[in-house]
Amino acid sequence: MFRLNMGRSLVYWVLAGAFALTLVGCGGNRLEQPSRGRIGMTCMDLTNPYFKLIANVMQKEAARHGYELVALDGNNDAAKQNNQMSDFVAQKYSAIFLNPADSRAAGEGVKKAHAAGIPVFTFDVQVADEEAKALVVSHIGSDNYQGGRLAAESMMEVTADRGKIAIISYPEISSCIFRVQGFRDYLKEHHSQLDIVTELSGKGNRNDGYATATDVLQAHPDIVAIFGVNDPSALGAYAAVVKAGREDDITVIGFDASPAGKQAVFEKKLYDTPQQFPRKMAVGTVDAFMKYLEGDALPKTTLIPCAHYRYADSVNDESRIKEQW
Amino acid sequence: MVKTRIQLKKLLSDYGMLAILLLLCLFFSLLTLKQQQPQGQSAAKQLANAVAQKASPGERVLVVAGTQKASQDTARMVAEMLGRRSFSRVMEVRGTPRDLRLALDRLRDESERPAAIAVTSEAVEWRVWEILPEAYPEFGQVTLVTPETYYWPDFLKLSNLLAVVDRIVVIAIIAIGMTMVIITAGIDLSVGSLIALAGVISTLVMKQLGGLGAPAWTVAAGFLIGIVSCGLLGAFGGFLVARFKVAPFITTLALMMVARGLAFSITGGFSIYQVPDALTWLGQGRSLGIPNTVILLAVLYAGAHIFMSRTTLGRYIYAVGGNEEAARLSGVPVAGVIVFVYIVSAVAAGVGGCIQASQLNAGTPNAGLMYELYVIAAVVVGGTSLSGGSGTILGTLIGAFIISVVQNGMNLLGIESYTQNVVLGLVILGAVLLDRLRGGASLAFLTGRGSAD
Repeated sequence: MFRLNMGRSLVYWVLAGAFALTLVGCGGNRLEQPSRGRIGMTCMDLTNPYFKLIANVMQKEAARHGYELVALDGNNDAAKQNNQMSDFVAQKYSAIFLNPADSRAAGEGVKKAHAAGIPVFTFDVQVADEEAKALVVSHIGSDNYQGGRLAAESMMEVTADRGKIAIISYPEISSCIFRVQGFRDYLKEHHSQLDIVTELSGKGNRNDGYATATDVLQAHPDIVAIFGVNDPSALGAYAAVVKAGREDDITVIGFDASPAGKQAVFEKKLYDTPQQFPRKMAVGTVDAFMKYLEGDALPKTTLIPCAHYRYADSVNDESRIKEQW
Repeated sequence: MVKTRIQLKKLLSDYGMLAILLLLCLFFSLLTLKQQQPQGQSAAKQLANAVAQKASPGERVLVVAGTQKASQDTARMVAEMLGRRSFSRVMEVRGTPRDLRLALDRLRDESERPAAIAVTSEAVEWRVWEILPEAYPEFGQVTLVTPETYYWPDFLKLSNLLAVVDRIVVIAIIAIGMTMVIITAGIDLSVGSLIALAGVISTLVMKQLGGLGAPAWTVAAGFLIGIVSCGLLGAFGGFLVARFKVAPFITTLALMMVARGLAFSITGGFSIYQVPDALTWLGQGRSLGIPNTVILLAVLYAGAHIFMSRTTLGRYIYAVGGNEEAARLSGVPVAGVIVFVYIVSAVAAGVGGCIQASQLNAGTPNAGLMYELYVIAAVVVGGTSLSGGSGTILGTLIGAFIISVVQNGMNLLGIESYTQNVVLGLVILGAVLLDRLRGGASLAFLTGRGSAD
């Protein structure tokens, strides 16, 4: 009994020690280097390589100016993001870079930061709440609406403006809503003969894009093309098309020009994937903060136009070969 | 020797989790020790004195503040103090670095120069000060005055401690219901989805009743309807478990999907915003200077603690979890008790959903994703046994705070999100493991009620 107790208390202390070490190991090194200050960044999904890249570029850019950038994952949870904002505020960070997980529920965090004198910059997705939007120093993002128009242009080109098409959308996310809007508006303005038979959510990921496209092919076997609002849903849709043995007569168009999307364009799986420029967005956000600190005038909103990314663009593309955005 | 060992062991088992919580607090306090910018009366006095030394009363003096209210108040005090010392040309600049630049441009255009600039709190960080010599050579040598900094842990700042409570209040309140459910040897997986459902229903009702400018009673009505809807779903689930002996795991898993699906289909996937201003009172307001969430948390926990330790129904809950058959034979209305705990759990989730909607000032259909797991973790870390029959309400509160403190502390330290999940997982494992090693009789002192051991 006595020996057993000894064993137990030993385990107890070893555990407690390991515990403390883990935390010290993670936290300790951050305190050593005195910097000008810290920037808090929170985005909707840090497991998405697109945001991971933005975080990395921002980190590098911020370090160049002497700032340390702490990137946190909002986990697609507005409440979690709100808490992260509170922590940034409690810690008196120099600035907050926000990519709202839910544009309509991000206002309170912005107001809190503003009240504490911390400037907030949004990127990629804007805050919807008008009052909070006015408090945001500046926003930088892709011109998703114009990108959607590019997708529509390619769509009319590849289908010779004839037949039925389907859209795999992601209506939870405002940037994807804009893409679909731009897509539809372009077709309407050009009196397109294309018939959009269905628009269903692929939830922005490959699995759901696959499942949704499979169902679409069951319901509308006569479609000639699919527009997926981002590369994962487009690639999911392409997998469904292959499964149905229809890859020769159904064209798929994506969006993003992600590394996987670029490769798919090169392999002629996707016809086009209008390109976003996450690096520009990341650098632009850090620059905006620096200009803010120097008291320069800043535009309230900067939209970076998207560009076509088709086979011809992919052949000698360094970034595709290196699997970069 | 043996006696002291036994005493030590008892001490550890009684106060173990609380000790871990305090250790964590101490740990994060030490690591977040940092230079702080002073504000208020003393900082203002310091600044005014320094300015009086460096400049003479007839000269132009600038006092610069950011957008923060405390910073602006400090600036106002500095200006007043200087005014009393007959500095007649004091100019206050408030706002962003841009506002400062515009003010400086104006001075230059009037071919004036500031003899001294007093800078409060956050404005100290502005890079305008670095570019001052190049951008405004006309000013010559300008004396900058900043308040002396002091050291204090970020973790222990009042605003941060409130943030610790704020982030856990939803989970902690739901954990009350979950503790009861788990003590009956059940589980409730639907609470995360019910957060979303309650938030969505209540905000929708508010919007229907008037939208942005609607009076406060619409908020109360919205909350009530949201919470009652959750309670009905909980009653339904409890009934299935009690009457048809459907496994709680499956019943509540199904309800989890139903509630989430409802929340999405009611809203079409979009958050509901532009709700009455009064909505923020619950989650962001204060009464007597104390945040309402803190008051609500304290009241609910005190009530639940007394209920579980002092009332017959509370004891029935332990009895059902300890041995259902024995409880039935001794006259405990087992089915009624089970339905009751599921209703409590769902209602608690509804309350949590209302608080979250209030904190976010919006109803979001994807709120509370995975919250059921955090709630269960808080309950188990707090010493409640998943096999039922033992556990305490106050233990759960400590469990919830352990999770909150770790999350907050890691954010303060700027630990990367990926690593945070690993650490949080290990903390939960470690806490539960320590609890088991101690023999499981955790926190019995808080209720006077022993656990199964």
